[in-house]
Amino acid sequence: MAAADRPHVALFVTCLVDAMRPPIGFAAIALLEAAGCTVSVPAAQTCCGQPARNSGDRAGAADLAAHTIALLEPFDAVVVPSGSCAATIIQYPELFDAGSAWHARATALAGRTHELLSYLADHRKFIPAGIALQATATYHDSCSGLRELGVAAQPRALLGAVAGLALLPLDGAETCCGFGGTFCVKYPAISNAIVDEKARAIEATGAGLLLGGDLGCLMNMAGKLHRRGSPVRAYPAAEILAGMAGPAIGEPA
Amino acid sequence: MSADFTARAGAALADPTLKIAIDRTTITARTKRASAIAAWPEFPLARALGRDIKDHVIAHLDHYLLEFEANAIASGARVHWAETAQQACDITVALCRAADARSVTRSKSMLGEEIGLPHALAQAGIERVETDLAEHIIQLAGERPSHIIWPALHKTREQVGELFAREHHGALPLDTAEQMMASARRELREKFLAADVGISGANFLIADTGAVCTVTNEGNAELTTTPPRLHIVTAGIEKLVPSTAHAMSLLRLLVRSATGAELTQYTSFHRGPRRPGDTDGPTEFHIILVDNGRTRMRAEGLAEMLRCLRCGACLNHCVVFRQIGGHAYGGTYPGPMGAVITPILDGLAASHDLPNACTLNGQCQEVCPVAIPLPTLLRGWRDRSWREGLEPASLRGSLALWRFVARRPALYRAATALALPMMRLFARRGWISAMPLAGGWTRHRDLPAPPARGFMAQYAARQKAARR
Amino acid sequence: MTDARAAILARLAGHRTDQATIAAQAAALLDRVGPTRPDRVRGAPDAVFLQRLASPAIGATGERIATLAELPEAVSRYLAAHALPPLVAVQPHPELAGLAWAGIATHADITPDEAVAVGLAHGGIAETASLVFHSGAHSPTLFAFLPMHHIVALHAHSVRPWLEDHIAADPPRNVNLVTGPSGTTDIEGTLVRGAHGPGHLHVVMIGSNNDADPVAATRPA
Ligand code: SF4
Repeated sequence: MAAADRPHVALFVTCLVDAMRPPIGFAAIALLEAAGCTVSVPAAQTCCGQPARNSGDRAGAADLAAHTIALLEPFDAVVVPSGSCAATIIQYPELFDAGSAWHARATALAGRTHELLSYLADHRKFIPAGIALQATATYHDSCSGLRELGVAAQPRALLGAVAGLALLPLDGAETCCGFGGTFCVKYPAISNAIVDEKARAIEATGAGLLLGGDLGCLMNMAGKLHRRGSPVRAYPAAEILAGMAGPAIGEPA
Repeated sequence: MSADFTARAGAALADPTLKIAIDRTTITARTKRASAIAAWPEFPLARALGRDIKDHVIAHLDHYLLEFEANAIASGARVHWAETAQQACDITVALCRAADARSVTRSKSMLGEEIGLPHALAQAGIERVETDLAEHIIQLAGERPSHIIWPALHKTREQVGELFAREHHGALPLDTAEQMMASARRELREKFLAADVGISGANFLIADTGAVCTVTNEGNAELTTTPPRLHIVTAGIEKLVPSTAHAMSLLRLLVRSATGAELTQYTSFHRGPRRPGDTDGPTEFHIILVDNGRTRMRAEGLAEMLRCLRCGACLNHCVVFRQIGGHAYGGTYPGPMGAVITPILDGLAASHDLPNACTLNGQCQEVCPVAIPLPTLLRGWRDRSWREGLEPASLRGSLALWRFVARRPALYRAATALALPMMRLFARRGWISAMPLAGGWTRHRDLPAPPARGFMAQYAARQKAARR
Repeated sequence: MTDARAAILARLAGHRTDQATIAAQAAALLDRVGPTRPDRVRGAPDAVFLQRLASPAIGATGERIATLAELPEAVSRYLAAHALPPLVAVQPHPELAGLAWAGIATHADITPDEAVAVGLAHGGIAETASLVFHSGAHSPTLFAFLPMHHIVALHAHSVRPWLEDHIAADPPRNVNLVTGPSGTTDIEGTLVRGAHGPGHLHVVMIGSNNDADPVAATRPA
């Protein structure tokens, strides 16, 4: 462990953020540095293996897990801007036989892996300073972060420090949006019915912005809101907290 | 993705009345459960205790079965054992025949549905009268239950009113739920008292007394089991508890989780046949202990599922169940608990969609009063379905390709660099509304256009620029 | 079907734990019950019972009289208030048979469409406002299920705090805990009163039990 007050953190950006929303990665770096961390972005990172694991392909998931473990284990902490990918890494030990060397390595890594917003709030006692945004917003709790990692109060506490930002309660904020990773393309009609209900609940809040901590869920909700012709704009919470609110999801740069 | 499940789910999604019916019941159920749990700050402790009571019983199931059997026999009951659904039905039908039964009343039991008892009685030419209001509705409509607590959840009150107007003999008004219940009361009154055999399930089997506990709100269970000459109980072997006191702890959990009440209106413990001096009660009391896959569940990593109290909370909170309802699942048990149990009862090949058609959001586990790790058990089935080659070739192919590329970071970067600009060709004003291979997504929602270069490429470029 | 029995038991047989260990484990589980009880009910059990009984969730009514001898009067008042004829089935219990039922025609055989039945409960449970009935010559089971109005006398001293407190070591054929009038939520999940069992439940508490331990005191911290 490096000095407790300046940990060397690996940012695991996730395959989805890499491909679809780079600003989340830059916001995460800015936030972690502001919270007193030294940040590295290991260059060989790809995918945590969640699609394979959720599809029952344990061997495929273990293969990508091994790659990711070897890549991330030299750091004091691993921070992931996604509850579901963080949870996947935290649950890596399940993919290996208990007692094996890989199981031990997976367990050690799991203990040092965190979702971004909860890491900032709980482990770095970070409070954003000097960030202002005149807007009304509502927050959706993504399920993996909420139920597997206990992320609920932290994003609200952090967002509460943004001057001018009013958070409106979302009816069913803790109800799944219907994304579910591969679920949304394997069972599109069911997923659509779920996200349609979610989109209506978001519209009913009257908020101008939808915020969340998981890009997959946000893309699902934002895509449905857009298809419905809704004016609600969707942002990853990290971008707002870093004062980097540029174009919303789907808005041309 | 088997055509059957997708077709059934599609039909359910296309039925707007079904969604209204599902919402009316499940929203009420969720609200009532939430206030019952909020008024019971001791719930987390109670839940841990409930879980441990069930785990204790399941670990020592042989011991408790033998203790129960001995005590039930001592109370004058006759105990039968059935390994399969067929055996359980055969025993029931044989008992009815031996008693020369013409008419049988039945009080709702999910186990009865699971073993196909309604069908077996019909085959044997025995008249069956369902006495639970919802089961009565289902029987009149010739349908199957769609929920384990509210079998007629898929019907709106308007539809029930029309059904009763057509099928009931009285001329009572049928505008409100109260009037519909009153009409059913009148319709069934004489049948309760005329039946030769009453069949019930069991919520708990009490090992140290040999008693069978049933819970109802309508009072139909006692009216079903008291007047006839025979009372036949069909019960899954996982229903055992060591003593009545253990049952009380589980009742506190079960009732709040099911309907939000603190206790069912009628909580009954039946112990053997009529005794000297009794003026009512059956002269014969039979208990059929049914395995039907339970010992397999215990042996094959699903022991935790045997904790299930059949409270229905996981159904009411499931986003998938709430969209497609119970019939789409195709088995006796729908929702999260059904997706775990059905592959045991119907085989994984026929039901591998059920554990997959789930977002793994975990709300079912969160509300389960005995803390069953439903998502973990569903993952177990997914793993097995994959191993057994039941998942579609297209999925297997794409995941294999993904793994191959993701294992090779340089190739991965190159592929990303190629794919993103191609995707952008389909974008208009920031959004993609249709794109080859993305139909599952874009049929129902738009896809935000990706950036021209991914994060890793942008970051590497920035690092390089900073070093210069 | 002895082979089914043998087959099921064989599949369950694992490493055998001795009976004493299993019994000790089962008892240890019950040691944990106290702190899980809903700590909302406070006061003398009979008072808590009457409070809970009247809550909308239970939907019954209750009153208190000083002695059992006043029960016929209470029944008359109930009949008058509900415009019911003075004709009731009375549970064949010696304590009830000895009462002076002036002005009320009573019978001991209950009919399928009985309007009013009067009974005496074996006991009560404050936690849930449940009446406990034990079947027997003096307490036919159907008395609690066939009438439309069920009026139940309950001795205050027989009301105990918790669900576990009325468990008999050697229970009769049938033990019924009755909690409010019958109802159903089968149509759209909404509670409707008056299903196959009684539509109205009225409890007449006999005496009071101020010396009993208050309910809250019986729940270990
Ligand atoms: S799995 Fe849990 S929540 Fe679902 S029915 Fe069973 S006990 Fe209730």
